[in-house]
Amino acid sequence: MLCQNCSKAQATTHIKRIINGEATEQHLCAACAKKLGFDSFFDDFSLSIPNFFSGFFSDAVPALAGRKTERCETCGSSFDEIVRTGMVGCADCYETFYDKLLPSIQRIHGRARHAGKTPPQVVAAEQTAAPKETAAPTREQQIEALQKQMQQAIDSQNFEQAAVLRDNIKALREEQ
Amino acid sequence: MNEQMMQSIPLSTRIRLARNLKEYPFPAKLSAEEKQLVNETVRDALLDGDDAGNYRYIEMKDLSSTEAVSLAEKHLISPEFASSADGRALILSNDETVSIMLCEEDHVRIQVIEPGLSLDKAWEKANALDEKLAARLTVAFDEKLGYLTQCPTNLGTALRASVMLHLPALSRAGLMPRLSSTIAKLGLTLRGTYGEGSKIVGELYQLSNQVTLGISEQAAIQNLAAIARQIMEQETAARETLRTDNVFIDRIYRANGILQSAYMLTCSECTDLLSLVRLGAALGILDVPLDTLTKLLTAIQPATLSVQEGRVLPAAQRDVLRAQKVKEALQNA
Ligand SMILES: [Zn+2]
Ligand SMILES: [Zn+2]
Repeated sequence: MLCQNCSKAQATTHIKRIINGEATEQHLCAACAKKLGFDSFFDDFSLSIPNFFSGFFSDAVPALAGRKTERCETCGSSFDEIVRTGMVGCADCYETFYDKLLPSIQRIHGRARHAGKTPPQVVAAEQTAAPKETAAPTREQQIEALQKQMQQAIDSQNFEQAAVLRDNIKALREEQ
Repeated sequence: MNEQMMQSIPLSTRIRLARNLKEYPFPAKLSAEEKQLVNETVRDALLDGDDAGNYRYIEMKDLSSTEAVSLAEKHLISPEFASSADGRALILSNDETVSIMLCEEDHVRIQVIEPGLSLDKAWEKANALDEKLAARLTVAFDEKLGYLTQCPTNLGTALRASVMLHLPALSRAGLMPRLSSTIAKLGLTLRGTYGEGSKIVGELYQLSNQVTLGISEQAAIQNLAAIARQIMEQETAARETLRTDNVFIDRIYRANGILQSAYMLTCSECTDLLSLVRLGAALGILDVPLDTLTKLLTAIQPATLSVQEGRVLPAAQRDVLRAQKVKEALQNA
C-alpha cells in the first residue's frame, strides 16, 4: 500500500485520525509520519503502529528458531506473538518473557527503573513481607513507617489508601 | 512579562493515566464478553454512592458513530476509541472534565481535562481516581517496570500529561520546526493539530511528556509546566513584535470580518480565521472574549455540529450551519 500523504513511498505506519467528522485510518510512509509528527511512540495513547513498533523486538526473534514455543501460562501468548503485534498479552507476560523483553524495553526507556507512585496494595505488601536481610526492619520500625505513610495519606485526603494502611498496621500489631 | 498575554496561550491541560487490572489479560486478549466484565468491574469500583450522580456510564455500542467522533473532536476519547465500539465503554463526568476509556488499548485510561495551564489540578483529580481504583481493585504493577501496560512504551508511570498551546506568532515567524526539535531533545514532544492533509490548522500545538519510566509523576509534570511557560514567554515576545505590523493587523480585521459575514465556512478555514481573531483578541486589537473563541474551536467541528443539530449533515449544509453558529456567537459575545 502506498502512503496516503505523498503517494510515493510504501506505507508502514497506520494511524487512526478524525477527519471531516469521521474516524479514518491513515496509512503513511515513515517520512510522512515523521513530518506529521507521528514518529513518536509517546505521541498519544491512541497511536497504534504495530509494524513500526515490533521493529524494536526484531533482534530478539532469531534466537527462538528451532525451539519449543514458550507460552505465557496466564494468557497463552508466545513471545513471537508479542513481537508480531507489538502488544504484550497480560501482566504475567512481563514476568514470563522478562529477559527477552528487557533489551527492547531498555531501547525504548533506557536502563531506567520505575520512579513514580506505587499502588497501595504493593506498598502494604512490601511493608508486611518478612524481610530476610540481616538489616531487616523490626516490626516496631515497620509500624512506624506505615503510620507515617498513613498520616501522609490522610493529609492528602487519600482516605482509602489510609484505610488500607490502617488495616496493615492493625495486622502487624496483632502478630506481635 | 505580560501575564495576561501569557495566560491567553494555553487552551487546555490534559492528564492521562493508563491502568490494567492484574487478574485479566490485556484488552487485545479479551473477548467482547470479558471486556464487558472488566468494564463493569471498573464501573462498580469507581462509581459508588457519592460519585454515581456526577458520571454517566456509556457503552460505546449505544452511541452513533457521529456521537463517538464528536467525543474525539472534544478530546474526550481517542480517535482509536471512536473508531470501534466493540467491547468498549466510557465513564464520562457530566461536566465533561473527566473521561475514563474502558478497554481501549489498556483496561482503564483515566483522563482529566482542565481549561488553561492547570497541570497540578488536573493531576490531583486524575490521581484521586487512580487511588480509588487501586484501593478497590488490584492493579498490574511491577517494582522495576512500574504500571504494566499492553504497549511497553507506556511502562512506568503510564502518565501522559499535555498542554494545548495557541502559538500563532511563533508559527508565523517560522520558528516551529526548530522549537519542536529542541523540545524533542528535552524528552518532550510538541506536535501540531492537523486538518485533512499535512497542513497544521489553527496554529494549535500539543506539548506532551515522552518519558514514563525512571521519572516520578511530579517531576514529569513540573518539567512540562516549566517548558510550557518558556514556550509561552517566547510566544508572548513574538506577539509583541506583531503590534506594529500593519499588514498583519489588517489580516486580523479581515478575519473578523469574514467570520461575521460569511454564509459558508469549512472547518479548516474557520479554524484558521478563529486563530487569527483569537490572537487579535489577546493583543487587545479586537474586543472578543477569549473564552468564546476557545469554545468555538471545538463547537465548529463537523461531528459536533451534527450532534448539536440532532442529525448527520452533508458537508455543504454543515458549512452553512458553521457560519451561522460563528456569527451568532461573535455577535452575542
Ligand atoms: Zn509519504
Ligand atoms: Zn500473558
